[in-house]
This record gives sequence, structure tokens and C-alpha cells, in this order.
Amino acid sequence: MGKNNRRNLKSIMAKGERELTGYIRRIPAIYISLLLLFIIIVVFVSINRSFLSVYNLKTIGNLTSILLTVGLGQGLVIMTGGIDLSVGGIISLISVVYLLGLKTFGYLSFFIALIAACGAGFLNGIIYTKAKIPSFVCTLGTGGIFVSITYLLSEAPISVPPRHFHYLDVVNGSALGIENGWLIALLVTGCYFILQKYTYMGRTIYSIGSNERMSWMSGIDVRRSKVYAFILSGLGAGVSGIILASNLYSGSAIFGDLYVLESIAVVVVGGTAITGGAGGILNTVVGALIMSVFKNGMTVIGIDVYAQQTFLGVLIIIAVAITFDRSKVMVVK
Amino acid sequence: MNGLPVIDMKAINKTFPGVKALENIDFRVQENEIVGLVGENGAGKSTLMKVLIGLYREDNGEIILRGEKVIIGDPREAAQMGVGMVFQEGCLLPNLTVAENLFLCQEHIFRNKGLLSVSEMIKVAEQQLKRVELEVNPRAYVRDLTQACRQMVEIVRLLWLSSISGVENPVLILDEPTTVLVSNEIERLFSILRHLKKETSIIFISHRLEEVVELSDRVVILKDGKKIAELPRDDAQIRKIQMLMVGHELAEEYYKESEQTQPGREKVIEVEGLEIRGKFEPADFSVRSGEIVSLVGVLGSGKEEVCRCICGVLRADAGKVKINGKEIKIDSPKDAIRAGIGYIPSDRRDEGLALQMDVMSNISLIVLRDMIRAGFLQVAKERKETSFWVEHCRIKTPSLKTLCNNLSGGNQQKIVLAKWLAARVKVLILDHPTRGIDVGAKEEIYRRIRMLASEGMAIILMSDTLEEDIGLCNRMLIMKDGKITGEISCPVEDKPTPVDIISYMV
Amino acid sequence: MRKKRVVVKDGLNIRERIGRGFRYIISHSVFGPITALILVSLVFIVGTGGSFLSLKNLQNILSLGSILAMTVFGSSLVILMGAIDLSPEGVIALCAVIGGLIMKNERTVVDVGFWAIPIVMMVGAGTGLINGTINTKLKVPSLITTLGMWFAALGIAVIFSGGSTNPIMDSRLQVLANGSLFGIPYITMVTICVFIVLAIIEKRTAIGKYIFAIGGNEILAKQVGINVERVKVIVFSIAGSLYGMTGFFLVARLLSANPTISRGILFPAITATVVGGTALSGGIGGVVNALIGAMTVTVLRSGMVLMNISPYVQGAVNGVVLILAVTITMDRKKISIIK
Repeated sequence: MGKNNRRNLKSIMAKGERELTGYIRRIPAIYISLLLLFIIIVVFVSINRSFLSVYNLKTIGNLTSILLTVGLGQGLVIMTGGIDLSVGGIISLISVVYLLGLKTFGYLSFFIALIAACGAGFLNGIIYTKAKIPSFVCTLGTGGIFVSITYLLSEAPISVPPRHFHYLDVVNGSALGIENGWLIALLVTGCYFILQKYTYMGRTIYSIGSNERMSWMSGIDVRRSKVYAFILSGLGAGVSGIILASNLYSGSAIFGDLYVLESIAVVVVGGTAITGGAGGILNTVVGALIMSVFKNGMTVIGIDVYAQQTFLGVLIIIAVAITFDRSKVMVVK
Repeated sequence: MNGLPVIDMKAINKTFPGVKALENIDFRVQENEIVGLVGENGAGKSTLMKVLIGLYREDNGEIILRGEKVIIGDPREAAQMGVGMVFQEGCLLPNLTVAENLFLCQEHIFRNKGLLSVSEMIKVAEQQLKRVELEVNPRAYVRDLTQACRQMVEIVRLLWLSSISGVENPVLILDEPTTVLVSNEIERLFSILRHLKKETSIIFISHRLEEVVELSDRVVILKDGKKIAELPRDDAQIRKIQMLMVGHELAEEYYKESEQTQPGREKVIEVEGLEIRGKFEPADFSVRSGEIVSLVGVLGSGKEEVCRCICGVLRADAGKVKINGKEIKIDSPKDAIRAGIGYIPSDRRDEGLALQMDVMSNISLIVLRDMIRAGFLQVAKERKETSFWVEHCRIKTPSLKTLCNNLSGGNQQKIVLAKWLAARVKVLILDHPTRGIDVGAKEEIYRRIRMLASEGMAIILMSDTLEEDIGLCNRMLIMKDGKITGEISCPVEDKPTPVDIISYMV
Repeated sequence: MRKKRVVVKDGLNIRERIGRGFRYIISHSVFGPITALILVSLVFIVGTGGSFLSLKNLQNILSLGSILAMTVFGSSLVILMGAIDLSPEGVIALCAVIGGLIMKNERTVVDVGFWAIPIVMMVGAGTGLINGTINTKLKVPSLITTLGMWFAALGIAVIFSGGSTNPIMDSRLQVLANGSLFGIPYITMVTICVFIVLAIIEKRTAIGKYIFAIGGNEILAKQVGINVERVKVIVFSIAGSLYGMTGFFLVARLLSANPTISRGILFPAITATVVGGTALSGGIGGVVNALIGAMTVTVLRSGMVLMNISPYVQGAVNGVVLILAVTITMDRKKISIIK
């Protein structure tokens, strides 16, 4: 008799839990992420008002622009159902390419670096489609290759001689009172948004992530779209690298190390499903804001630098737990 | 043998949303007999068996096992009670060995001082495999075995599970076991089944009536969820069974026969020597504009593969396809679409649409390319096109931006249709278009199909029921075991009856 | 001129047949990975003009390889189930720091000596338990769960370490790390023992079979009656405890308990898993593969160092090896859609 009662109670509770999570699930993930962002801001502000100071907001802005640009591209790859682990390597590579190019090309180095970034993404795409291996492995490998190329270009970290500082004003200067770096990040965001929603390739990315088989059966060239996503990811990482190099007046092969994971975190925390198909550019924007606000906020309210990493890890898990769309996957691996 | 049946299912009913799968079925199995269970696709054979082994719960009715009323919770419980099913797709884990598969989840029996005794497992495995005279190394991996061997292993597992539960006369259910076997393997299977009959009872589901008649002691015939006949061995002749399987009155004008049009002259699509080794043999046929050709056959006849080959999903080994006289090369769905071939899959959730995307994005998917100007999508054009199709196909949705997941099944089906119509295809392959659709929506679909034909679309149709195929088509091609075995014309004045067709099919 | 496809009788072309043959060898036995190991070793024996075979170098390789193998055992078990574990770097660091604090060190008076081993293993198992629970109960994909754990554990490790390295003064550790018996490093012996235990689990326990079953077809495994959730939690925990042991040995080797001790271990761990023949999709592989893979990767890395190949080029070599290994060994029949 007791066993029956226990079984009943369990099933009632399970049903209740399912109903609640079912309700949560039906709210688009982006609203939940925005709510999370809001809560985080409120918490930090209430602990320390200087969180809202102009100086601090500027810091957040800088941090966001870097996380955002690398996250945007990563988001596109994740939306197709893959992942790009080489973004760290690309950031490092492009930071060095950019700074090295200043000597010979001056302002033009900016564009050369961007082209190099696209090339790196293209390489990812080619290896992925030719070797037919999972993007996880492919980009893990190419990431290492990019870092090696960076070292080949410059064994030691590069620093910028003062006479070249003005070139970096592309990022470090400001126009209309807003830091150029932010403007660039906003520009990239805008472009990617338009690309994703209003171009053919962008729309196929979404479709492939939602249902790759159906997309293929509807005549979409899946491989080409995935290569496109990789190129955009490389480009985003490249912009990130340029901004980083400009902010720090230097570039090196270990620059991008920690950005791989941060870019993934930015994407999933914003509500994009790691399995693909759900989410979008806006989700990544919210995700970047959450990450940078959180990181900055922790410093402002005085949490130990070392403890921050832990909180970040917990944040990621919680954010995904509440935004992840489980109705789409049969098995959670 | 006493008169008490091993299995006695009484008045079993089962309804799924929109369809009554089982209606008041009585089904009995005696000790040491082989019962053949036959019926058309969708008659309820698999459903009935799945109720028996606990995958489905009956809505009402009762199951009496060896004299005791039981409620079967899941396949594990069923196995412990001595009832097991060997599915068509197989339930073995390919990356494990035979022995490991045999004893999966029962390893505790072989525990010796905390660890499994592998030698003991192998020994017992060899013993058990002897019961079906299977000479397979228990250490072999299942993925390296032929389908025939895998089936045997599954049978052995079921037998073994029954014996360790102490059940004396287990019941084995075999669901279409012969579809994946070649003739000598089938011989072997039958001889083993006859041998096993002495200690078990067997339920044998098959569409191959020759086999059913050869093997069974008794044949039970289902149709539309009802048991319509039960024939003892002496009375079970193929012709008789065929008639019982399909004999049934047609509702007047259900398939809008009066709207059946005469096909045009030109052949829109011609298939010559199309072949996929192992799936179907060289096929030749053609469809004219405005003609509806039904491809008919049971599961495994090759009809689905033919269609999926034409639309580019499966790659052909040989043969060619011509559209309007011009040969086209089909390496992928993209080529087929470009040539004007459309394919509406039977499983719309998996292959028809992206549930997470909205109506507009789904409908415009194939023709997205045409809406690009200077690299950018013309949103206004997309909106206009998709609105047109929403109206044309009478899709009920609050807005173009509604997620497809939130719409009803019937509307989802219409969205898939709209998508292909928007692509202006010349040939449309309909893969079980009314599957899972309720009666009212079906009518709409029939009307729609008539309209398409009258506008000149060449249609290749595969339906769930023979009646639907007959009612809708101008001409019918029947396939059995990979070959086209017959072609029957279905003019409005002289529609054949299902009985005429079934002999080509089974 | 059109390229002619060579067709062999059962419809597969030569390239497909070779690929199939490769996969058969690799998935069926360890013949493939052992060949790879031998080949790589030969390359370096020749390339270093024989100095590769010096006792000192071989012992070094055995030591390093053993430590890496410990981690790879853990991540392989998780990958065998079809999941992924990104947390080793963080968990190893955490266990290393904690281990350091409880042995003869500069910052605390606690000294439990070698009892630190079971203690850090339990800490590691704890992190695995959390990973498994989040993955199965909250249904968060393992990629993200272990990613979060990586950050979290690393962060805690850094907090506990107070930002300073913590030298360990227990001389026995030095003996353990550098000593050997009959030429075989002690560390290697420990790894062999662990290997034996894991091999027994893999081949002679029910749960060993369940791990493969889940990796082979999770849905089917559940249907047959395997308690998938419980197995997953257990496997994550075992992996965690193995990371803990790795941490201990790294501390022994470097004689300091530093949170940076595990930096960059993920790449070699994943490469070792794949090169050893364990499929990323799960169901194929095992501890033997893990061991061979770990040795191969270690030989590759040490060999490059010995040949004075620029450390910067090594990154590229590692990347190329990884891509090639997966390209050859991946079973593409199983996954119709490659993501």
C-alpha cells in the first residue's frame, strides 16, 4: 500500500513539475534571458550604486563589444547545429595580423585583417565539408593550427610602437561621443542581424538548425550554408581580435585562449539552443550583455577575482537549464 | 493440450487521436500453435500486438494470460510473463556481442563473487543458441551478423527470458520477420518455428500470404481495426483471405470520383530502368500531365524507395528519369526540385516542415532564392507570395508569423503542400497524404488533389488504403517485393475493387 | 575529363572500401591504434637519430603518458556513453589545490600524507556527481554542464590557492614521481593498476555493458530496461575521481599545488581519446583505446620536443593529427547527419 502511495505522490509531483516547466518552456527563451539580465543588473545596482557610473558603463561597453562580436559568429554556427572551437585561435591570429600589417598598410590593415579572418573561417568550412567530421573535432584541430600560424608570424607578443597609435584610433577613437569600438560592434551586430533575417544564406542557417533533413530535402545546399556560417564566425572572431588588439595595444598567440568558452557561454546564456535551430542574433546580444554585466558587476561589488570564474560557471548552467528548449531533443546527451 | 488458451484478449479497444485503431477485438492463442495475423496496412495488427506486450495500454477490454487476468505495464513485464515480440527493426544493440545482448539487464544471474563470469555467459549462450540451431559465436558483435541471425538471437533472448521467469509456454510474436530474409533463410526460420512450436506459441504477422498459409495453424484477419474472420488451416486459402482482407463497400463519391479528369497527352515524367540494388528492381513507368498514378504495395514492396529515389533522397544505382522528354540527373533533392519534382513526405514532423519556424518561412523555403534582389530578401514579396498560398490552400493560421508547432496537424499538412505548390513543381509525389488526418480534413485533401490534377499536375500517389488509391487514381501500379507486378487502369466508370488488386500485392 | 569511379562488386567504390576496412580494424580491435602508436614512435626514433630510445626519455614518456592516461580514462568513459566531458582542467586543478593543502605544505599544518589520494578522488567524484545530476535531472546537455563545471571548479581552485603556488615538502612525493622499479616509473605502475580495475569494470560488470549500450543507442537501452540516469551519474563520478587522481600525480611531479597545473589538458585528452579509437559518438572504444591513445599523443608531443620542433609548430601538428585521426576512424554509417 505504501509503495502505491509513494508512486502516486511521485507521479503527481512529476506532473506538476512538468506543467510548470512546460509553461516556462513555452515562453520564448529571449524573454527569460532578458529577465535574467534585468535581475542581475538590479542585484548589482542595489549592492553598489557605482555600478551605474559612466566609467563603469564604459567598461561594460568595451567588454561587451568584444564578447558580442565573437559571440555573433559563434551563434550562427551553433544555430546550424555545430560549434566553432577555433575562434580563440582566430582572435589570436588576427590580432597579430592586424598589428603586423599596420607597419606596411596602415589603416588598410584593418580590412586585410578582416579578409584573413574570413579566410580562416573558410578553411574551417572546407575541412568540415571535405573530411566530413563533426565540427567539434574539426574546429578543435584548426584552432591549434591557427595558433601555430600566429606563432610563425611572430614568436613573441607584438606591441605597437607609439608612432602607430593613431592607426588604432579606428577602434580606440570615438565618433559622436561613442567609442568606435562599440560602434563597430553595433555595426557588426546590425549586419549579422540583417544577414540572418534578410538574406538567403542567413535564412537557410536557421532552417538547417531547425530541421536539417527537411532543409536538404527542400533543396537547400546544406554544406554551403554551413561554410557560410563558419566564414561569418571567423569574421566575427576577427573583429573581436582587432578590437582586443587595439584596446591592449598588443597582440599575441595566447590572446584568444579564453574566448572560445566565453563565446559559447554568450550564445547559450542568451537562449540559443546548443542543438541549433532556436535563438538568433538578438539572443546573442542579450547573452553578451549578461556575461559582461555579470563579469563587471562581480568586480564592482568586490567579489574575489578568482571567485568570479566559479560564479560564471554556475551562471552558465543555470541560464541554460531555464532556457533550453527540451521539446526539440529526444535525448539529452 | 487443454482447452485453456494461453492468451485470451477480450473486446480490446484502442483509440488514438483521430483514429480508432482497434475495435472490439477478440484474439486467442492456444498452446503450441502458430497463429497467422494478417491485414492491410493500418488494419491494426501491429497495434494489437503492441497492446499485448505492453507498449500501448488498451482503452478497454481485458487480457487473460494463462487463465489469469493481467495488466501489462511495459515490455519488461510482458517478457517476465512470457510474452515477447521480435520487431521488424530489431531490438539488439549492434555494438554489443551476442552474449551481452542475450543477457542484457539480467547479468546478475552470472555474478560470481561480485564479477560477471564471462565464460559462464558464453556457455549458457551456446546452450541457448542451440535451441534454434543457431551456430553463431556468442562473442561475435551483433553488427556483424546478418538480419536472419539477429532475428534468431532475439528469439533466443525471448525464450531465455521466459525460462528464467519460470514460464512454461511462452508466446513469441514475430512482426514481418521475412521481409529482411532471403529464401533459404526463410526456409530455415520456418523449420525452426515448427520445431519451437512444441514448446511455445507463435503469432506470425506477415503480408506474404503464401508464407502465412504454409506456416499457420490458424489465420486471423483484421480490417480497419476489427477482426473480421478467423480461418483454420484447412480453410485458409490465399484467395479467400485476400477477399476477406479487402471486401468492403465504398462510400459514394468519397473520393470525388466525378471530378476525376482525363490526363493530357504528354508524358511529364518518365522513369526508365530505375534501380536501387537491394531495394527495388529496374522500374519503368511514366505519368502524364493531369494524371494521378497510384503506387501500391505493402511495406517493403519498394514503392517508398522508388519515390524517394525520384525525388533525390535516395541515390539510384542505375536508370534514368526524364522530365518533359529531357533526361535529368538527380544527385540530390536540389536537382529534383530544379527539374520540377516535388515530394510531400508521410512524416511531416520529421521531414515536412521545421516546426520551430513560422508559417511564412516554411512556405517560402524552396523558393527563397527567387525572392532575392541585390542579395537581399524582398520581404514584401515573400509576404505576398506566402499570403497567396495560405489563402489558396486554406490554411487556418492567426498570422504568417505563427510557429508551425502551434498549428493543428491538418494545417501543418497544408503548409507542406503550400511549400511545394509555391515551388511550381510539375510532378508531385504524395507519400501517404492523409496519414493521421481526420475524416473531415481528408475530404479537403481529396478535393485539393483533384484540383491539382485538373490544373495539369502529374501526381504519383501512395495511400494508406487500397480504397483511397483506387478512388483517386487514373491508373495503378502494383509493386511486390521490389518488382512492378501489375498495372491496372481505374477509369471513373469502371473502378476495380480492392479484391482485384490484392492478389498482385500479397 | 570526368573522373571514373571505380566500382567494386558490392556497390562500394575503392575509397569507401578502404575506409570501411580501416574502421573495421579500428573499431574491432586495437590493431589500428597500436599501429598508429608504432608508426609515430618509428617516426621519432628515426627523426631523433635514436636518442628517442634513451632510458631517460622512455621513462619520461611513460610518466607523462601515465598521467595523461589517467585523465583520458575518465573522459573516455563519458564519451563512450555518447556524452562529452569538458571539465578535466577545472576538476584536476581543484583536486590538486585541495590535495596540496592537506599534505605537507606551506600554508596549512594539515598533513595526511598519502591519504590525500582517496580524499582528492572523492572531491573529484563529487564534481562528477554534480555533473551527472545536472545532466540527467535538469536535462542540461553535457557539453554545457561540464563547461560550467570547468569554470566553476577552476574558479574554486584559484580561490583556495589564494593566488599563490603552494610548494609541497613531502619528499616521498618526489620518490613517487621520479622513482622507478626495474626501470618502470611508479606512476606508470599506478596507472596500470587503475587500468586493470577499469578494464575489469568494462568487461566483467553489468555497468560496463550498460555504458556501451547507452552509447550505442540510448533510446533502445532505456527500452530494454537500463537505468540510464543512474549509469550516467556513476560514470561522471568515476571520471571525476580519475581526474582527482591525475591532480594528485601532477602535484607529485611538480611538487607544488598550483591551479595552473592542468592548463591546456583538454586538447591532448580529446585527441588521445579519438586517436586511440574511441568514437566521439559513443559505443565504440574503451580503456585499452584510451591507454594507447594517451601514449600515442605523449609520444607525439615528447618526440616533437626532442626533435626541437618549434613549440609553435606543435600546435599545428596536433591539430592536423586530430583531424586526420577522426576523418579516418569515424563511423559515418551511424550518423546520417554530421554536426
